[in-house]
Amino acid sequence: MAVATEPKQKAPRRKKTSGLLRSEQRLAYWLLVPTIVILIAIAFYPLGSVFLKSFTNDTFASAVETEWVGLQNYSDLLSVTFAELPPEIDPATGEQVIDPETGEPEFLSSVEVLPREPRRYKDVFTFGLFGSQYVLGATDPDFILSIFDTMVFTVTTILFEVLLGLGIALALNTAFPGRGFMRAAMLVPWAILTAVSSRIWEWMFIDTRAGFFNVIFQRLGLSDGQTPWLADETFQLPAAIVIDVWKTTPFIALLLLAGLALIPGELYEAAEVDGASKWRQFTSITLPLLKPTLAVALVFRTLDALRVFDLFQIVFAQKKYSMASFAYYQLIDSQALGYSSAASVIIFVIITVFAFLYIRGLGITSD
Amino acid sequence: MTDAAVQRAATPTRAAVTTARKPRVRWKRVGFWALIVLIAVFLLFPFYWAINSSLKTEAQLQMTPATFIPRDPVTNDISVTFQNYKAVFQNDAFVRSLRNSALVATSVTVLSLLIGAFAGFALGKLRFKGKALSLYLILSMTMFPQVAVLTGLYAVILNLGISAIPSMILSYMLFTLPFTVWVLTAFFQALPDDLLQSAQVDGATPFQSFRMILLPLTAPALVTTGLLAFIAAFNEYLFALTFTTIEPNARTVPVAIALFSGEIARQEPFGEIMAAAVLVTIPLILLVLIFQKRIVGGLTAGAVKG
Repeated sequence: MAVATEPKQKAPRRKKTSGLLRSEQRLAYWLLVPTIVILIAIAFYPLGSVFLKSFTNDTFASAVETEWVGLQNYSDLLSVTFAELPPEIDPATGEQVIDPETGEPEFLSSVEVLPREPRRYKDVFTFGLFGSQYVLGATDPDFILSIFDTMVFTVTTILFEVLLGLGIALALNTAFPGRGFMRAAMLVPWAILTAVSSRIWEWMFIDTRAGFFNVIFQRLGLSDGQTPWLADETFQLPAAIVIDVWKTTPFIALLLLAGLALIPGELYEAAEVDGASKWRQFTSITLPLLKPTLAVALVFRTLDALRVFDLFQIVFAQKKYSMASFAYYQLIDSQALGYSSAASVIIFVIITVFAFLYIRGLGITSD
Repeated sequence: MTDAAVQRAATPTRAAVTTARKPRVRWKRVGFWALIVLIAVFLLFPFYWAINSSLKTEAQLQMTPATFIPRDPVTNDISVTFQNYKAVFQNDAFVRSLRNSALVATSVTVLSLLIGAFAGFALGKLRFKGKALSLYLILSMTMFPQVAVLTGLYAVILNLGISAIPSMILSYMLFTLPFTVWVLTAFFQALPDDLLQSAQVDGATPFQSFRMILLPLTAPALVTTGLLAFIAAFNEYLFALTFTTIEPNARTVPVAIALFSGEIARQEPFGEIMAAAVLVTIPLILLVLIFQKRIVGGLTAGAVKG
């Protein structure tokens, strides 16, 4: 945004306006007071109190006196450890036990490997690498997993949304009968409340053949029609991604359509004359000129996706957390004001870091 | 005569000249329309599924496989029921949530526009020290994550005993106000400086010229930003869910739909939930369609200016 701070007045009038200038400045401050007061009351003061509370063990309706606990909440939320799972040795043969059904070598369970003192680490997930098994343990596996899941959710949804949005925008950027209808249709997912779309998709994903997806997958012979999409760990994140992609792709496509409209048609005509292929036109004209719009869409969507709450809370409740829904359940269900505050501060820091990186990386300035 | 019409008139002749290319062109057209239909289905199908489900009885909803239009379980004839809609209208909690949402969203919109127009005028048209800093602050606030202040706000509200509806009205300005200020600043800036200056020459104070000249000129911008603020406030879920935890009567529409329960406690009444979903969505879609151009303009102004 271009901000003209320099007065554009002619020199002779400057003297006369200096009194006006002072009254103008005073008026400006008065006009800004309500905005500033409200933002202090609902943003800066609560943010400060969240920060302070994050160092306490404050709990609602608790008999325990609130105390400063230093970094305890942060260390409980963020402590992680990696460990290699030793192979399970058969005492009779002295060799590694092999699962008779799958033929896979077996390893000791993570409970036996992860430290229990002074604090107990529980497993977040285990993974195999070069024939060994490793486990990631954390003192609060739910929170670590919620960070991990939110990151996967963010990266995947944005990838799909930008690619699909670009495709839709390019398809609709031609003149054809019914273009108005399509543009209107694009506003439908955007206009639907997130809570409403979450409920609609929850119903479409229901675990019997009363649900749309189980009907389709069964008809295509891909499943028995009883897949618990929202309860099965394997399908939870993909389902969340599908829901968000549906809801948000049209928004990206609308932004990109507006961006496409700004590209002068002569550029394509000139390229056509020069015999440039459609693909060449796309990579040399469309993409570079669309970059600013893409950048803005990317920033807005990333910051939005990182704080996703509605979708996860409504569709998964406590079966799967996003960072924000984790903080919510700590506050409301566990009444753990201090602990939830620490989680909020971590989320705030993560989002701020992303915003900074973006603004640096994409060269977005206030100008 | 539009360009499209000219093009359509021109196409057959060109196609006739290059007969060899004709089938390719036709396949291209078929492919294009297939793509358009695919996109339309992708965009509209979930809402269609909600309408379809809302017109089914409980027995029809439990039919496996689910039917794509409401059908009678026995005869398989098309059979539509409006009982879900009737039930939703008789559901006090839901009707109350509509009133609550209307109250909250309208108040937030009016307050944001009023306060935002003041700030937007100051930032867009007046000269004062600290303007660049204020603009930066407002811009960074448009990206502020609500969840970061959740515990802080909730503690304040509980300690001061503020009831849920005023809490929501006040706290929603966290996301509507910075956005409104930002967009209105841009609009005020776009108005010619001469307007303000000639008014000053005529002896009008800056505030008078704001109220009588500039504010009427920004009416279209106020409509657009107001609409977007209204939709954002109507959509809000995190604060609404948290603040109404101990005050179920203050629940707004998103919370009511998320926690929807039927008259008789049973498993999730998806027929009624879908009916409620359709009822809430239709006015919003109409609103969005009527103001389509403005909304797209406002969204891109809010975003592209960033």
